[in-house]
Amino acid sequence: MHDLRRPLILTLFLFLLLSAGQVYGKVYIDIGSPSFQKFPIAIADFKPFRPVADKGDLPVWFSDTLSRNLTITGYFNVLDRRAFLEDPQAGITAEGIRFEDWTVIGAEYLVKGGFHTDGRELVTEFRLFDVVRGELLVGKRYTGRPEDRNRMVMQFVNEILLSLTGEAGLFDTQVAFVRKGDAPADIYAINFDGSDLRRITNYNALTLAPRWSPDGRFLAFTSYRDGNPDIYLLDLRNNSTRKIAFYPGLNLPGSWSQDSARLLVTLSRDGNQEIYDMNVGSLLLQRLTRDFSIDVSPVRSSDEKRIAFVSNRNGSPQIYIMDADGGSVRRLTDQGNYNTSPAWSPKGNRIAYEGSVNGRFQIFTIDAEGGDPQQLTFEGGDHESPSWSPDGRYLVYSVRVGGRSRIEIMNAGGQNVRVLYQGNDVSQSPVWSPRLR
Amino acid sequence: MRKNWLWVGLIALVLCLSVAFLTGCAKKAALKDGALVTTQEQKAAASGTSVTAAQARAQDDAAARERALREQALREKAAREAAEKAAREAADKAKQEAKAKAAAILKELQIADIYFDFDKYNLRPDAQEILKKGAPAYLKYRDYKLVVEGHCDERGTAEYNLALGEKRATEAAKYLANLGIEKERIKTISYGKEMPRDKGHDEAAWAKNRRAHFVIFPPVK
Repeated sequence: MHDLRRPLILTLFLFLLLSAGQVYGKVYIDIGSPSFQKFPIAIADFKPFRPVADKGDLPVWFSDTLSRNLTITGYFNVLDRRAFLEDPQAGITAEGIRFEDWTVIGAEYLVKGGFHTDGRELVTEFRLFDVVRGELLVGKRYTGRPEDRNRMVMQFVNEILLSLTGEAGLFDTQVAFVRKGDAPADIYAINFDGSDLRRITNYNALTLAPRWSPDGRFLAFTSYRDGNPDIYLLDLRNNSTRKIAFYPGLNLPGSWSQDSARLLVTLSRDGNQEIYDMNVGSLLLQRLTRDFSIDVSPVRSSDEKRIAFVSNRNGSPQIYIMDADGGSVRRLTDQGNYNTSPAWSPKGNRIAYEGSVNGRFQIFTIDAEGGDPQQLTFEGGDHESPSWSPDGRYLVYSVRVGGRSRIEIMNAGGQNVRVLYQGNDVSQSPVWSPRLR
Repeated sequence: MRKNWLWVGLIALVLCLSVAFLTGCAKKAALKDGALVTTQEQKAAASGTSVTAAQARAQDDAAARERALREQALREKAAREAAEKAAREAADKAKQEAKAKAAAILKELQIADIYFDFDKYNLRPDAQEILKKGAPAYLKYRDYKLVVEGHCDERGTAEYNLALGEKRATEAAKYLANLGIEKERIKTISYGKEMPRDKGHDEAAWAKNRRAHFVIFPPVK
């Protein structure tokens, strides 16, 4: 958790202003559209600029690491280097590249780069070319310790994504989820690329429903550590925990406000599950729902004017929308007899949720006005608890088959499924973090 | 075992002391706990005509006293052990009776699990029957409390199931309150789908997991 928060000590500069001019005002390909084709990209092995005594595997390490991280995004089709026609001695500047050598093998984009050591420092250059138009899109030089090279690659992958899609990558994000292994249930977190799985809570008691604050500082969750399901707040800066809701009955966290000052919660302190807006500083509550049925799982819209939640007020669990003050409640989902786990896209107006189809749970999205429902998953097993990436381009969710489950990521259109975590136990309720800088 | 050694040691000590006192013509050899030996006898022994005869007699007396002491000690020990055993047995019996009584009360108070239909929390007739049978014991033993746990099967969202489990527990608690058990004595807690009783993944397992479970809380002594 702390690695990503450490300031990146890299000096970098744009060494060609040309690229900045081109990025400005560019119209991006809509990567969320069903007709989107992955970017065909070639990544040449890196070159030592000067004869480096022990270059080791670095030329291939750079190209392999770039390939792996670009593939993870789901937006790139990285071409096999065995198909490359170019003379490996060719240069890394536009003048030294025969672009037709790349277009003829199907590439539209090309990454080239080089490196040298300067004393104890490693100096690297990365360049992204549009080979169809024969021009440089982005060029970056990074200087740092040799151990920082992985972060140099991540940084440039972000530059590539920014240049081609208008949005940086998600390498500074994590997914928290509930894992039921030997302990009753604990919260774990894992990096976007599937690395660094680690345990966040360890109370030897049921611990559920993690919720990141938008500033990345807090993780709210429910734990039975004192017997009752109470809400706790973990401060990730100093690892301290504070109990913020411990009324008789259920205490469950919902979504935060953008300023990380208020938390929607479900409490049954008034005899029935109702939704409240809690000020995390003063712990004062504003009650939003008044109904004798179940009201649970509140999420705010990105503009914070509306709240989606689950209620069974008409017999079966369905998703409803209300105003931020609890007014004008209307039903959103009207197909199927079990629709729960709403997640409001941080960009745009779509709500992801899980719905029962022939006794199995699948992930859907729907417009906040109720139009255009789309089923995104179709396979066997139960697909549950969708959560959006901060850029609104991906969904993370759990898939359970019998007593085993995995955490998967797909893009917002339901394509490019990637397994983020798979164990021999039950993992559920994944939630995507904000960008953690 | 230790007690036996103590007694043997004590007897040996008494013996040594008495022999030492008597052979040394001690005028007032009084044994602290030898109740059989009187000062009169000692005086008589001491005023004997012949020293050797007195000594021989003293030795005989000592042997007799030793025997008497040993017998006395054994008698006392047996009596003490018998008393202790009787007390212990009485205590054990009382304890067991109390235990059996407590177990009988717990058995009387234990309400069987009740089951629910999928995504429902209304009490089925079979569940109502179980609660009607279970409630009277709580009217009889008024210092016992109970916790109603609500559980769900593994299908559906963790959060919705926590709410559903709570509804199930609350419905059962309300029904019991209507049967006369004070509300203050009934607590509810939901574990949602997190603590299945049957780990299976079919309808047979699910049916067992959609339940309310009753936990008795005896009075704190």
